[in-house]
Amino acid sequence: MPGILIYSDNITLTKQLITAGLLLKEKMNQPVYVILTGEQDLTGIANTAADEVFVLKGSNPWPESYADAIANFASTEQISAGLFGGTPRGKDIAAKVAAKLGAGLVTEAQSVEFDDGCLLTTRLLYGGLAVATEEVKLPALATIAPKTFEEAGSSDKQTEVITIEAANELNQITIGETCPVVREGVELSAANRIVSVGRGVGKKEDLSMIGELAQAFDAEIGCTRGIAEDYHWLPVERYIGISGQKVKPDMYFGVGVSGQVQHLAGMRESKVIVAIDMNENAPIFEAADYGIVGDLYEVVPLLIEALKS
Amino acid sequence: MPRILVCYKWVLDEQDIKIVSLGLSLDVSRAKYKISDYDKNAIEEAVRIVEKNGGSVEAISFGTSLKQSFKDVLSRGVDKVYAIDSSIAENADAYVTANVLAAAIRKIGPYDLILCADGSSDVYNQQIGSRLSALLGLPGITSVSQINCEGDRISATRKLGDCTEVVHIKGQAVISVLPEINSVRIPTMKQVLAAAKKPSEEIKIDALGLSDAELLPKVTKVSVKGFVMNRKNIVFKDANQKDNVSKLVASLAKEGLLKERG
Ligand SMILES: Cc1cc2nc3c(=O)[nH]c(=O)nc-3n(C[C@H](O)[C@H](O)[C@H](O)COP(=O)(O)OP(=O)(O)OC[C@H]3O[C@@H](n4cnc5c(N)ncnc54)[C@H](O)[C@@H]3O)c2cc1C
Ligand SMILES: Nc1ncnc2c1ncn2[C@@H]1O[C@H](COP(=O)(O)O)[C@@H](O)[C@H]1O
Repeated sequence: MPGILIYSDNITLTKQLITAGLLLKEKMNQPVYVILTGEQDLTGIANTAADEVFVLKGSNPWPESYADAIANFASTEQISAGLFGGTPRGKDIAAKVAAKLGAGLVTEAQSVEFDDGCLLTTRLLYGGLAVATEEVKLPALATIAPKTFEEAGSSDKQTEVITIEAANELNQITIGETCPVVREGVELSAANRIVSVGRGVGKKEDLSMIGELAQAFDAEIGCTRGIAEDYHWLPVERYIGISGQKVKPDMYFGVGVSGQVQHLAGMRESKVIVAIDMNENAPIFEAADYGIVGDLYEVVPLLIEALKS
Repeated sequence: MPRILVCYKWVLDEQDIKIVSLGLSLDVSRAKYKISDYDKNAIEEAVRIVEKNGGSVEAISFGTSLKQSFKDVLSRGVDKVYAIDSSIAENADAYVTANVLAAAIRKIGPYDLILCADGSSDVYNQQIGSRLSALLGLPGITSVSQINCEGDRISATRKLGDCTEVVHIKGQAVISVLPEINSVRIPTMKQVLAAAKKPSEEIKIDALGLSDAELLPKVTKVSVKGFVMNRKNIVFKDANQKDNVSKLVASLAKEGLLKERG
């Protein structure tokens, strides 16, 4: 029966998607089907207000190997909307499912509504320069980033859990070792103040100076993508932007950050934005409340001194 | 010796796009085209694999004004470029783009390895690699930060946020690479000159045997609005940095942003 499908390889995100699914249900009048795969933990799923819970069980533990089975489920049930968790695995699975269904898929939808027989979604374009409102023909799929919706609460009802056998053997692919990425556990999105480093800082050693500045403000350190992904000077969970952390602290202070739109998209909702850059025309100044044009190696020590006194 | 195909998108440079304050529409009249940023990493990776293992690198794009892109693509070490130049690309969504590319690859392939980038810099759909793998019935691996080829075996290391994962593939594959997989080299003068002599081939969209429905987007834009920033834009640019610093500190004090003294 037509319905709204929910899937994420991350169960916390599944609960957030259920909230989005239930909102769609109000207008679409269709049941919300939650799919879990393999050994995913059911706790807290069956007692949400979702209508049905299906567990796809196959012999291959790799989440991506369920793409075919999810697509089969979607076409058998003639689902009209599918919401997928926007993790790297989820985006891959969603795109494979979309291709198999011949369906449209909106990546990182910020809002999803049902309107006039279509899904109406919003998302960012050009690295965050613009917001696009798009119309998707049914069956319509979307991926949704973590924390876009609150987790669904529990209800009194206990949904029956139906297990479906899935053939998910893959002949050409074997999974080798997996390695957890050690995280420092810093939750940048919770920081009140952030001093953010860009490639204007010439050497890794100079980060100690930025650390001093951060301390003088009682701030956490963030950075641009290149500092984390190309230079590996700081852990990836410290980089801010459209593909990194989204932050809205009371103060964002960029040092040697040019302010390309992909970075701005992650911090432009900060309350006050401050920047130091030696290029007067750097786009960061258009996005800033206060700025100093100058060499950070001259300005930052002066600033640390002034803040200390 | 692998035969590799790289998919690249010819996109407007977002740095040249201005937001018209009235109505917040986008002014693209001064925007130039470029190879989508991360696709340069995909091309670079293909060239590095071939430098190590032998083989060939070809590139393909579906878009408009593609001729302008040939020189840049070919000077990066690509042996031959295919172009599907069509106005249909202007409104194409990932569904249409993948249909077109898959049909073209069926025509000019098979390839041992098809490379895409993690996402295109304009729409950043992060879909084409995965969609192609599904349409072509090949293994599709995304978020790849390292590739090793040996004979008909490929090992790919994926970065998945909270873990890394090594995937071994036997036979052909579609792989989407992250930009951190390599640093892109700047073409040498010799490469730029040699590019002019390399082959390019146009593939007509009508020759791909796609139905009208397969060329009709599922996702259509209702509106596109520029994001405006309303900021104070107070920039201190005196020659005397001490002055600038004290003015900044005074402003931040007013905003209540200085550290509490305890
Ligand atoms: C699809 C896509 C997604 C992306 N996602 C992200 C993202 O999520 N986050 C992100 O950060 N980036 C992202 N990027 C990259 C982004 O486009 C920029 O390349 C990046 O943000 C620039 O980083 P930067 O400011 O550190 O470096 P640069 O742009 O190189 O800027 C360095 C700045 O330092 C200044 N400078 C140099 N020396 C000094 C000095 N001595 N004193 C003072 N100033 C100095 C320079 O004037 C310059 O303005 C993405 C790109 C693409 C294509
Ligand atoms: N029109 C296109 N022509 C050729 N390759 C493309 C096209 N669109 C996307 N790609 C490839 O698919 C990748 C992901 O694009 P996207 O799904 O649009 O984010 C890009 O980095 C390219 O490698």
